[in-house]
Amino acid sequence: MTYELNVAHLYGNLMNTYGDVGNILALNYYAKQMDVHLNVKIVSLEEDFRAADYDLAFFGGGQDFEQTIVSQDIQTKKAELTKFIESGGPLLAICGGFQLLGHYYIGADGEKLPGIGALDHYTLAQDHNRFIGDIVIKNQETGETYHGFENHQGLTYLGKNERPLGNVVSGKGNNGEDGTEGAIYKNVYCSYFHGPILTRNGEIAKHLLVAALQRKFPHDDFSQQEALPIPATF
Amino acid sequence: MSLRSGFATFAGKSSYWFLHTFLHGGSSLPGKITLKLDPNILRTLGAKYDVIVITGTNGKTLTTALTVSVLHQKYPTILTNPTGSNMEQGIVTTFLNAKNPKTGRPLAVLEVDEANVIKVTQYIEPKVFVFTNIFRDQMDRYGEIYTTYQKILDGVALAPNATIIANGDSPIFHSKELPNPIEYYGFDDQPDQDLKAKPNTDGVLCPVCEHILHYHSLTYSNQGKYFCPNCGFERPELTYRLTQLGEQTPTSSEFEVDGHAFKIGVGGTYNIYNALAAYAVGRFMGVAPAQIARAFTGNQQVFGRQEVIDVDGKQVTIILVKNPVGLDQVLHMIGTDKQKFSLVGLLNANYADGIDTSWIWDGDFEQLAKRNIPTVITGGERYKDITFRLKVAGIPDDRHIVEPDLEKVVAEIKKVPTERVYVLATYTAMLQMRKILADKGYIKEGLGV
Repeated sequence: MTYELNVAHLYGNLMNTYGDVGNILALNYYAKQMDVHLNVKIVSLEEDFRAADYDLAFFGGGQDFEQTIVSQDIQTKKAELTKFIESGGPLLAICGGFQLLGHYYIGADGEKLPGIGALDHYTLAQDHNRFIGDIVIKNQETGETYHGFENHQGLTYLGKNERPLGNVVSGKGNNGEDGTEGAIYKNVYCSYFHGPILTRNGEIAKHLLVAALQRKFPHDDFSQQEALPIPATF
Repeated sequence: MSLRSGFATFAGKSSYWFLHTFLHGGSSLPGKITLKLDPNILRTLGAKYDVIVITGTNGKTLTTALTVSVLHQKYPTILTNPTGSNMEQGIVTTFLNAKNPKTGRPLAVLEVDEANVIKVTQYIEPKVFVFTNIFRDQMDRYGEIYTTYQKILDGVALAPNATIIANGDSPIFHSKELPNPIEYYGFDDQPDQDLKAKPNTDGVLCPVCEHILHYHSLTYSNQGKYFCPNCGFERPELTYRLTQLGEQTPTSSEFEVDGHAFKIGVGGTYNIYNALAAYAVGRFMGVAPAQIARAFTGNQQVFGRQEVIDVDGKQVTIILVKNPVGLDQVLHMIGTDKQKFSLVGLLNANYADGIDTSWIWDGDFEQLAKRNIPTVITGGERYKDITFRLKVAGIPDDRHIVEPDLEKVVAEIKKVPTERVYVLATYTAMLQMRKILADKGYIKEGLGV
């Protein structure tokens, strides 16, 4: 393969519910078609994340207990993760990962647990209720429609500098109120979508990979990669 | 028996007789009627029995069946509940249907749903609890593994004198201090190494200090001879040890426990765990190893789930898949087949299947794809999901037939180049497939489990 990208799978051994690992498999699948080799490395508890070492990052969702532990450990990676995000590093964050990039979330016992505040959202909890079911959203800027399955107790409210990943066509979305789902900030894509998101919505995988390539190899032409057709899988 | 219990029992038994005789049914309704009339009925019904409760995510049914076979070597009368009747009403019905024991104290070996353990222990103090494992199930229906274990323990707390026989390779069963006597079974056939579980594994945090667990040896998922390099938490001493693993095929497994050789007529490491649990209960209840070996080989029907169906010369095995760990184990098991085989994946997402299909991405189809399977067929109501899963796993398009219609899947199966065909199907897809095969006369209708 002509190109190589280093991918950080953040807390991949703890934050891995609902088939989220499928996102890594889908990234690999589309990367191969773009002539790109991915080196995926899990970065977990008590391991350093250095912004300079990675070209792309994925952060999945986890069970309540695991997410509590990650909420503590991720504070040690806050500075470097923020640096990665601010410098345009492409990152996909799902469910718990989405919540932990924001200011805080409310845990299973009602306690307020910190995120890293790299993105300007916060997450509250529903009382004995979850949003569970198929969901369809539409991104107004690209016109793309995304399909997924949501399953979350959290109610997330976006901040000033964030755009939603899409507007809810059917389903609940971030909080069931404002019609938004997920978040986009610089090259960070956040969502509550399982399914997993990249296996059903290959366009997002392509956006992430192209962003990573352009950032790492600024003088190369990636129009061919950008033209990669993504057949519908759902 | 109080007047109320007596009346409730009579009403339940008559309703069973009515349902059974005239409607050919009656697995939970009699229990429901009886419970309505006397909510404490289990206390009356269960009082005469020594009860063994078997619970956990996977393997409850086979462990229960194997345990019954093993205990039959020594105990003539054993009451047990049929598959699927593992909630309160089904358990009441099981006791209602029992013939009155003539002599002695008979045994009841019950498969009990995790959340229903407390519904049993409110009224009956079991003699033994068996914990098979706790894995992440499809979570649109169930809780996290820690919540599930807590539900079991809430039930166990009402029976502090019962002996727990637990899977020692599962860290969660060593995570809480309990007043009960505990015996563990597990695998002890490998030299010590320093390993970690595969990244996409649930439950790998040390329950004491919350660091990542390491393993001296691993069987599958998060099970094995675990230890925490940070705080010293480790697998407890095993009472029942699998000392050697012999030949494994999709239809047989050979192994030694505590130095005694055994063979069971079914494949899969998970089934060896089920047999190990049954062995442990048998030994605890005084059954000799030779008798256990006889029980394991003597009762082939208990492995009924994996019957082989002849479809115009194709040897078709339908296997139910329902959660990630189960799926992974099934993939591993069919991978032990030395013969070439074709693979069929049928995915539905109705309530009984789990409405979220994400879990198929947790199964290690990549391993299977490396075997150069001559033909792969994907179908079912959610054929697009399973089709893309196998495409990503590396199944080449020229060997991959996509056919949503199950009738046509049967026609395609007849054309595959191998004699052997494995059909992995979710619950409702399996029922639909069996109905089609029954309509065409390849099997008698019914679940076959």
